[in-house]
Amino acid sequence: MNMTAISMFFLFVGITLVITVWASKRTKTRSDFYAAGNSIGGLQNGLAIAGDFMSAATFLGVTALVYSTGMDAILFIIGGTLGWAVILLLVAERLRNLGKYTFSDVVAFRLERKPVRTMSAIGSLAVAIPYLLAQMVGAGALIQILFGLPYEVAVVMVGVLMTLYVMFGGMLATTWIQTIKAVLLLIAGTIIGLGVMSMMSYDFGALITAAVSEHPKGAAIMAPGVMFTDIITVISIALAFVFGTAGLPHVLMRFFTVPDALQARRSVAYAIGFIGYFQSLIFIIGLGAIVYVTNNPEFLAADGGLIGGSNMSAVHLSKVIGGDLFLGFVSAVAFATILAVVSGLTLSAAAAVSHDLYANVICDGDADRDTELKISRITTLVIGLLTMGLAILLEGENVAVLALIALAIAASVNFPVMFLSMYWSRFTTRGALAGGYAGLATALILVLLGPTVWVTLFGFDKPIFPYRYPTLFAMIANLGCAYWFSITDKSQRAIAEAESYDAQWIQSEIGPI
Amino acid sequence: MLSQLDKEILLNKDFQQLVKVRRRVSWSFLIFLLGLYVAFGVLSVYYPAVLARPVFTGGIVPFGVLMGYAILASAFIITLIYVRISNNYFVPLERKIIASIKAGGQS
Repeated sequence: MNMTAISMFFLFVGITLVITVWASKRTKTRSDFYAAGNSIGGLQNGLAIAGDFMSAATFLGVTALVYSTGMDAILFIIGGTLGWAVILLLVAERLRNLGKYTFSDVVAFRLERKPVRTMSAIGSLAVAIPYLLAQMVGAGALIQILFGLPYEVAVVMVGVLMTLYVMFGGMLATTWIQTIKAVLLLIAGTIIGLGVMSMMSYDFGALITAAVSEHPKGAAIMAPGVMFTDIITVISIALAFVFGTAGLPHVLMRFFTVPDALQARRSVAYAIGFIGYFQSLIFIIGLGAIVYVTNNPEFLAADGGLIGGSNMSAVHLSKVIGGDLFLGFVSAVAFATILAVVSGLTLSAAAAVSHDLYANVICDGDADRDTELKISRITTLVIGLLTMGLAILLEGENVAVLALIALAIAASVNFPVMFLSMYWSRFTTRGALAGGYAGLATALILVLLGPTVWVTLFGFDKPIFPYRYPTLFAMIANLGCAYWFSITDKSQRAIAEAESYDAQWIQSEIGPI
Repeated sequence: MLSQLDKEILLNKDFQQLVKVRRRVSWSFLIFLLGLYVAFGVLSVYYPAVLARPVFTGGIVPFGVLMGYAILASAFIITLIYVRISNNYFVPLERKIIASIKAGGQS
């Protein structure tokens, strides 16, 4: 038990609960609940976006990837930043100009509301729930190691807190929690990065030389190919990052919290600054972990592996740099990171159910405000209980597959449908449905038949589908079906949809007049 | 189908200019950045030796690491340039279009 970690963690929880109480008094309308009343400024939204995106997967997972593969991790480091360039240059302003609370608003702008919203709500849930589970299972394991709490207790703590934040504080509380967490994470990353560099007398070359001499694979870590050797895998990873980021419902939802397209653009610009900075630190942190953690008996388990697995390399490194006090700080920040990310995900899943499915599909766009808010709060509670239960059942499972499914679905269902609805005038409802469902089915089936599930989980000898990442094929399936079923759609509805493109296009360029 | 207002906007010279320039700017930036990423991916699969080679002969830092950081830096620089162009050119143009449409005048 690390007392510093525990007291810092309780301080964070205390502050976030105060924020939640404060936010709950200000959350009265739908716009307050889903979009913090469009009141967030560009800088804060940029921080909150960075807070949403820099998950435990980035901080601990990508550091672990640098720690075990070296240069191959750069593919992830660049991808995580370039996804934001796609959002800045193609998506952010248009999204803000066309939508209200969720990205489905944009897809349903001129296409037929009910079927299209149902599909994009399924897409949102298919991303949010596996991603949420991945974070919670990871959180349970992490907290078990950091705080010495039993796995179940840790999962229930995360679940209860995220449910409270979202149910009562809505987007306003979520935004503040993500903002605080982003600042804490940037501070922690900076201190670790500077700590590593100062131990190396600020000589980057010396850091690389030391890492090569400490790592069991030696010079191979400073060349690509330790992990990724075939072009299909590399393309699929790149696509998942670049287009999957722009299809994550909780990330897209953040653009509705600002007043206009100008602030939306400003928020991505800040977010790219923070994320790019953090990603560039990750490489240094990973190399530092190779140098100071790999052969340090203090961090090795009886079997010679790292205590808690390679995901803990960044946390162990923090102990080398700042002793128990700093280890406590970094542990608390890692926990805060998980809480902030699961809150954003829960909110986006709740919005998919209450705003997209209930208000627009079931009530035909004419839902009573209080009932809709009640539904979203009940959904939050249900999602909270459901994910806590599933996360306890999934203890010890490999969570990489869940995160992989989430990003692959975001890239092969949500992004293409949203992109085509914004940019292609002949995109029709039939095309959107065919493309969206084809992308979803392809992604799920290929993950099922691929090495992660078919071999690792089911125990067969050989995978039916040889690649770990389905993104390339699922995106092609989506775009191909969307194209074919749109251009062959000669219905009255399709003609009307094509005619209303210009009005949508004007609004996407200069905003509602 | 199109409202009178929308028809006016489509004919507005400033609007046509805005759309044309913005499309050109954002797509060329995007293609440039994604091109760098593709180049990195292709090099890492087919020419790993290029990325493993030190930047300077006899130096330590491999080219792949430098390229990675260079891509991060270019994403950041392009973001700054895009925001600048938007603030100095697109936003005033948008305001002008909206003002002229609201005034009911053709330009």
